[in-house]
Amino acid sequence: MDDFVGRLAIQIGSLQEGFEILSKASTLKDLARQFFHVVRGNFITANVGLFYKPGPDKGWQKLQGNGPENFEQVSNAPSVRLFTLQLLEGSETKVRVVQPLIDRSYLGMLLGEKLDRTEYSDLDKICLQIYSELFGNAYQALLHRQKERELIFSLNHRVLQLNSLIDTGIEVSKLDQYSSLHRLALERAASLTNASRGLVRIANGEGTEEFSFPSGAMSQPAAHNGHRIQSSFGFFGSTYTFELFDKESRNGAGPFEETDQVLLDALARQVHASLENRYLHEQALEKQKIEQDISVAASIQKKILPETLPAIEGYDIFGINIPSKSVGGDYYDCIPLHDGKYALVIADVSGKGVPAALLVSSLHAYLSAYLEGGFSLVELVQRLNKVIYRASTDDKFITAFIALLTPQTGEIESVSAGHNPVYMLKNDETIQELKGGGLPLGMVDMDLPYHSEKAAIERGEQLLLYTDGIPEATNEHEQLYESAAPLKQFSLENRTEGAEAFVANLIGDIKRFVGTAPQSDDITALYLRRM
Amino acid sequence: MNQEFSLTSETRNNCLIIATSGYLNNVGGETIAKEFSKHFEVGTKEVVINLAQSKVVNSIGMSFLIDIIDQLNNANGKLIFTNVDPAVDKMLSIMGIFNFAGKENSVEDALKVFSGQK
Repeated sequence: MDDFVGRLAIQIGSLQEGFEILSKASTLKDLARQFFHVVRGNFITANVGLFYKPGPDKGWQKLQGNGPENFEQVSNAPSVRLFTLQLLEGSETKVRVVQPLIDRSYLGMLLGEKLDRTEYSDLDKICLQIYSELFGNAYQALLHRQKERELIFSLNHRVLQLNSLIDTGIEVSKLDQYSSLHRLALERAASLTNASRGLVRIANGEGTEEFSFPSGAMSQPAAHNGHRIQSSFGFFGSTYTFELFDKESRNGAGPFEETDQVLLDALARQVHASLENRYLHEQALEKQKIEQDISVAASIQKKILPETLPAIEGYDIFGINIPSKSVGGDYYDCIPLHDGKYALVIADVSGKGVPAALLVSSLHAYLSAYLEGGFSLVELVQRLNKVIYRASTDDKFITAFIALLTPQTGEIESVSAGHNPVYMLKNDETIQELKGGGLPLGMVDMDLPYHSEKAAIERGEQLLLYTDGIPEATNEHEQLYESAAPLKQFSLENRTEGAEAFVANLIGDIKRFVGTAPQSDDITALYLRRM
Repeated sequence: MNQEFSLTSETRNNCLIIATSGYLNNVGGETIAKEFSKHFEVGTKEVVINLAQSKVVNSIGMSFLIDIIDQLNNANGKLIFTNVDPAVDKMLSIMGIFNFAGKENSVEDALKVFSGQK
């Protein structure tokens, strides 16, 4: 009895020690190796074989040890769900143990003859059962540790996916290379979903462009019969499709999970947003460039329009130009000529903005050249018509009024090229309209005749040149200035004012009339008063 | 750069140096594991994996790397990654790989660590 208790005490000590060793195992093979040494040491036998059966319907595989290679060959005992221990007769193998494990797998153990050639005792049988259960517990702990590791791995992977999603969003927004953008998103999508391959397809009316990952991997994506997910979006007539093929696992390829589709959609959305942002950025840059161009055009035009008008002895003259946009299409000037005359000019280009400003610039250049060219006024206008016709597009022309003033006599020779009538405010309180001439400049090039008109401005009389922005100024009720307050009436009422005051009053009157309505057209006026 | 996986290996001072190229996925991980096993079974316990040409890694590829790290750590060995691309570096860091494996800028630096010069 004392001997039994003593041996039991030793076995219990070994059990504690054995469990400590077994619980440190990180793999099944490692666990089997440790268990092999524990069993061999405690049962003093050279031959120990350990086997593993992954499931009720699976075969046995050898894990560790010596002796028979095949567990089934040793006995034909049916698969069991309970611990079994068989003593075998007439064989080198003396004990056969089957220990069911927590996950419906089994541990098989074959023990050979003990080194002291004694039979396996009842205590040995009890201890073998306890050791087998010890293995079962250690195996369960190993599974828990593995599950814990898998869980940590899975949680880390989720963190990685979220982190990568944020990083990818930032990176794709930085990339200026069109193809790099898709490549990066595709690589990240494949990596984060464990896809074996991926493809980006950009299809539009001109054809289809493809990028694959790994590069050159998808020669026939349409023919792929495995698992796939895809996400598409449309942008500027092109359809962008991101496709991923075959989700990898350690056991081979399988179907994608719901979260994989969510991730792919999120990455595709990031690419979409990046493309949109890039487009808007380019538009903004283009707009900025256009605004710069307009600003340059406006400063050029400012130089074309006179800062101050020349002082003409015996006359008071003042002009104004208020463009409706940053660059306008109106022009006026008073140019002293070498023969003592002055050219009074006012012009209005059809349309507004930079194209109109360019035509104003052409008019200014040609007019300046021709005025000193010794041409008659009619010849000058005919030449202007030709060059403006050549310089303008079909929808562009210029209405202009050009007059040559001889200051000493007040004689005026004028040509109106389709411009608004110019008002001469006579001393008898009548208004003489100067409107003879011809078609607007640049409208046709058919050598149609222009003719000039002659008049004279007497002391105390005035001449008002204006563009249609004045009579057609519109208020918030869509009423025209001309219909509410005829310009002729205003002119007669204000004719005693000096030139600058007259123009200031006119502009003030128009502004009061227009109120909060936006300025619809350029406003230009040139006012000459003979004192 | 061809993104299909391939590797080269050499041994210097009993240290296995594996240089990978391309997508480190299931195929890539398995290929590395096989190469590692050949050397581990004959006693190699110091391993360098040069990732200079692998810019994309997935978690299956990573799980093979973890197996290698486990086996080496249980055998008192060590794995050092070198030439790690910033994106891959971030992935391996988040997955906690560098808690159990080393990281150096170059293969030469890793060899210095193994030889005790660093």
